[in-house]
Order: sequence, then structure tokens, then C-alpha cells
Amino acid sequence: MPTFPTLNTRLAHRRADFRSVPEMLNYAAQGETGVTFYNAKGEILSALSWHDVRARAHVVARKLIGAGFEKGERILITADTWPGFFDIFFGCQYAGLLPVPVSIPVGIGGKDAYLDQLRRQIAASGAVAAIGIEELAGFIAEAAKEFPAIRLHGGMDVIDTLPDAAVDLRPLGPDDDCYIQFSSGSTRHPHGVRIVQRALMANLDAMTGPGGLSLTAADRTVSWLPLYHDMGLVGFLMAPLSCQCSIDYLTPRDFARRPMQWLNLISRNRATVAYSPSFGYDLATRRGGNQIPPDLDLSSWRHAGIGGDMVRADVLDRFAETFAPSGFNPKIFIPSYGMAEVCLAITFGPDLGGVRTDTIDRVILASEQRAQPATDPTDLLRARRFVLCGRVVPHHRLEVRGPDGKILPDRRVGRIFVQGPSIMPGYFNDEAATREILSADGWLDTGDLGYTLAGDIVVTGRAKDLIIVNGRNIWPQDIEWTIEAKRIVKTEDCAAFSVDNGEGERVVVAVLARVAADHRDDLVRDVAGAVREAISVDCEVVLVPPTMGLPKTSSGKLSRARTRANYLAGLYKPVPSKPVAA
Amino acid sequence: MLREATNSIVENDDISDTLVTIDRGAVTRAEVMGEICHHLAPFQIGEKPINGATVITKDLAIDSLAVMDMVMEIEDRFDVSIPMNVVAEIYTVDELADTVLKLRAKR
Repeated sequence: MPTFPTLNTRLAHRRADFRSVPEMLNYAAQGETGVTFYNAKGEILSALSWHDVRARAHVVARKLIGAGFEKGERILITADTWPGFFDIFFGCQYAGLLPVPVSIPVGIGGKDAYLDQLRRQIAASGAVAAIGIEELAGFIAEAAKEFPAIRLHGGMDVIDTLPDAAVDLRPLGPDDDCYIQFSSGSTRHPHGVRIVQRALMANLDAMTGPGGLSLTAADRTVSWLPLYHDMGLVGFLMAPLSCQCSIDYLTPRDFARRPMQWLNLISRNRATVAYSPSFGYDLATRRGGNQIPPDLDLSSWRHAGIGGDMVRADVLDRFAETFAPSGFNPKIFIPSYGMAEVCLAITFGPDLGGVRTDTIDRVILASEQRAQPATDPTDLLRARRFVLCGRVVPHHRLEVRGPDGKILPDRRVGRIFVQGPSIMPGYFNDEAATREILSADGWLDTGDLGYTLAGDIVVTGRAKDLIIVNGRNIWPQDIEWTIEAKRIVKTEDCAAFSVDNGEGERVVVAVLARVAADHRDDLVRDVAGAVREAISVDCEVVLVPPTMGLPKTSSGKLSRARTRANYLAGLYKPVPSKPVAA
Repeated sequence: MLREATNSIVENDDISDTLVTIDRGAVTRAEVMGEICHHLAPFQIGEKPINGATVITKDLAIDSLAVMDMVMEIEDRFDVSIPMNVVAEIYTVDELADTVLKLRAKR
């Protein structure tokens, strides 16, 4: 039995017509809906009605104001899926403070990389407090040591022990900022997106209205998405809250452990909206496909969204086929496109449109940047199937531009630009990075490549060299820097890139082999080991003869795109021994 | 018998109440080591054997998702839950085995 009802019986449904997060929560708190946290076994860990969320946030807000935190100051919070995140996030909203959600460590041996990331995030956000789940209090203390500006750090107990203060709340208003979102950008140089109340409200309005998901009072959401990611935080906390919907959460870890629980929750609680990157659908199919409970009933699901990475038609086809007997309707797939710099959403596929694809000639795509329909769609060497990601949300504009800045006609591949009320004012304290992607007239360079097709956008890749593995953004610079920092190779002697086999990305590192022949195996092992240890990703290492060198751009910079092209052309011979596991 | 139990865990993503765990009290270090090495064997690089000193994310061809899977299977198998800060400070097979035994002893 779900803890909270789907429908509010006493409160009239309002769809994202608020001016600030405190206003949204004040309204939702008058109803009966709320948030439930489940574990991997599908048992309820805790439950907070929106009323509870607001009451607890008020207590936290008064303590923070009483402790002397000034309006606009930043508080870092580990965005694990747990009530403490809600306490701090919404506490900040009522205290006039800006929360800075950050991720949790990635696993075995991840301590150093995590501490390094925390330090960079503290520095980039200028946080004055850092709060985390109990288990991470020690790591937070270690990272905070170097920052005298941090006046408070630890687990939730450090908030609880602050004295209650009889002070007025100081809620953030429509003209204020809302929080800082780290999600894109290199982990070495994290960019904090300034999410402001006005832009967030505009994006929620676009996302939940017609042209988006058209949320109604009857909608219920289930999510395993991390709350430090824009799709988790905006898509599956802010958006349901803006429509007074109930949410049922599973942590990302528990989803990875038991992906079927995601579908079980949808089935049990009669949920209507749930999203995942393609890899989540893949995981559910591969792990759950042969163990489908006989009573699984996915017929209540009306929007199965896909976003966060390239939408993979093959993966979705398999999911649909596997779960059709459980009442899954493939027409409910909604391919979507967005990014943190726009709060979240830019385009949505049409309601009940399913996965619409365009199969084009991949050779012409690569050589002419033109999306020409493939003459033989079954020829896997020539044909490549892309998913149509729908139309830009209302009140926003999208253009695909060529290198000269001119708008390109349909089927010509260029950079995707967007404009509209959801766009960030800039990165926090980073004017230079802001200017690089945001023009004076408010057009955002998404850094993605794509083409239009009768109003739909088709995203074909990234203009930048960003690598995405299992939904995780990895910057090639971070990989190269890791290898260089360990002094395995000299600066500029390696290039990281990814190759896409249509199912997912695989990381390849090209390394100049400045070692004797009998040391080459060691070099390959050291490079792969360093990358696994620091970045937690598997890579194929290819050795490049020093006489050949790595390709450079006209300005003398390493060209990853050309290195990749050389690799694909077979210029770098594969390493004969030591196959690296797939 | 042990192998069968493991297989049922691997294939059981959902029906957690049917999970077979070793719950007969004492677990030997050899059992834990054996289980860890069994899970890591597919990721062995070349002929270098996996032993207690093997650095999991460095000496093996294993990516982060597979590492997470391995830890989860070990957790399920021995019915323990390793806190994430502890996981983040485990580097070698020995350290993982010791952690599991320590948590077993605390139960």
C-alpha cells in the first residue's frame, strides 16, 4: 500500500503556476500527498507528506538563520535520496540560503577522488557549510579542513544540535536564486549552474504543461534518479512538487542492485510517470527480464521518459518487448532532451508518440554533416538509427546553426542553440565560462550536435569531446590528466575519446609509445590501471608510434576528434596480447 | 551447494526474500576470499593471479558498474551492508575480505 494517496481530495490541483519553490511547497503542504523512500526490498524506509517536508524545513531554516548564516550563502549537501536532503534543500529555501547538491562516492577505492571532487565543489560554490549523510561526515570534515570559510560541517546531527531560534523565516522569492547545480563540466573545473527561481518556474511550467508531460492531479511519480543530477532533482522532485504529486523513491544504488523494484513500485503504486536514461531501461531488461513477477502490471504507466544521455532505440525496443506481457505500452516512451543550463527540459517527444526514429547514412553524416536517409536501413555498416527527441517546449526557441552561425535547414547537422525563460543567467562566479556558451542576446550553445526534422530535434552527438558512460559524464581531459599526473606519459602524449557502437560508448585512450618494445605491455597495463583507479571506467589503450605522433589542431592543441578518426580508420593497430574485458 | 546459492542470487534481482545467504553463524576467511576471487576471476588481466594484495580497481580489468555488482553480491551473500565511506577506503581483496568478516562479527 502506498503511504500517500495519488489524488488530493481537499486541495485543488495547480499546475506549476507558482513564483518560487517556497510558494510551491506552501501550497502542496495543504494536501495529503507526499514522498516515500523505499529500500531494495520494496519496504518503506521513511515517508514525509509535503506538509511534513515543509514543517521540517521551517525548523531547519530557523536554526540556520539563528546560527547566523547570511542571505545568499551556500550550503553544500550530499544529495543522497534520504529525508535529510529534503530538510536541508527546503530549509535553505526558507532561510534565504542556496543549497549546493553534490554526489556521493562511487565505490571501491573512491575516497581520494571523492575528496578531491568535494574540495573543488566547495571552492567553486564558496560554500560556508557542508552537510552529508552520517556515513560521509568524516569525508566532509576532511575536505572542509582546507576551507576556513566553512563554519559548519558534519551529518544531520550538527543541524539538529543547533539551538531553535525564534526568528522570522527568510524565504527565497521570485527574484532570487534557488540553488547551484553541478552536473556538466569537467570534475577538475566544476561549473556550478546558477538555478534561479524564475527560470526554474518557467521550466517547470513548460515541462508539466501541454508541450511537455501535461501533468494532472491523477499523476504519480516513481524515481530512482540521483537527486544531484538535474533529471532527478528538477524532473523528479521539483516537477512533482509543482503539481502536488506524490513521489515514490528508490536510491540509485538500490535500483542498480534490484532494477525490478523500480518497475514493481510503478506497478504496486499505480504510478503514471517515470524516467530513466537508456541504460536504466537496459539494466531492467537484462537483469529483470527473466524474473518478471507474474502480477507485474505496468498498465498505469503513461509517460516512460528517456533522457540524460543519447536515446538508444534498440535498448528501448528490447525493454518494450520484454515487458509487453506486463502491460507496457511502447507508445508511452517519451524521448526527451535537456541540460542543467536550462534547468532541465528543452524538448519532449509527443504524447503517445513512442520511439520515432530516423535511419540515416552514417558515412555521409561523418563526411558531409548531412543526415541523408540510408538507402538500405538494414546495412549496419552504413545505416545508423537516431531517435527523434521531439519539439522545443513552449516559450522557448531552438536553432541548429552551421559553423558560420547561420540557421541550417532540416537534415543539416550543426550545433544546437536554445533560447527562452528557462536558461540560466550563468555559472556561479565564473564569468569567462558563462560567456563561452551564453550570448548577450540569451542564446545558449548547448555544445550538442543535431539536426531538425519537421520541428523535431535529432541529437547526433556532442560538439565537445564529452564522454558519457552509463549515464555518467566523463571529460577526456580528466582521463588524460590522470595519466599524465601519474607520470606514466608526458603531457600531450595521450588522447582520450569514446567510440559508439550504437549501444553505448566505449572509452579509448591513444598513447604515444615512447618505451622499448618489451615495456609496451606494461605501459598499456599502467594506463588502463590508472584510468580505472581514478575515473572508475574501463578503457581500451592503443599505442601510437612516436614517429606518427598524435594529431594536433591548427592552434597546436591536441585534436581528440582526429585521433578518434584515425583510430576508427584503423591507423592505430590494436594491441595484440592482453585483451581488455568488455 | 555454494555455487548454486550464488547462482540464485545472481539471477534474482527482485525476489529478495528468496535470497539464499550463508547464515549459519561463523564464516571463515577462506570462504570470503574464495567468494570474492570467484567474482573477480572474469576480470583477471593476463596470467597475474588474483590474491589478497590485488588492488581491485587497478590490477583488474573491471569497471565501476561491475565493481558495484561484485560488492553487492558479496553483501547479499554474507548478509552484510558495507557503509559507503568504508567501501570508498577499500582498495585490495584483503581489505574487502577483512571488512566483510568484521561486519559479520558485529551482527
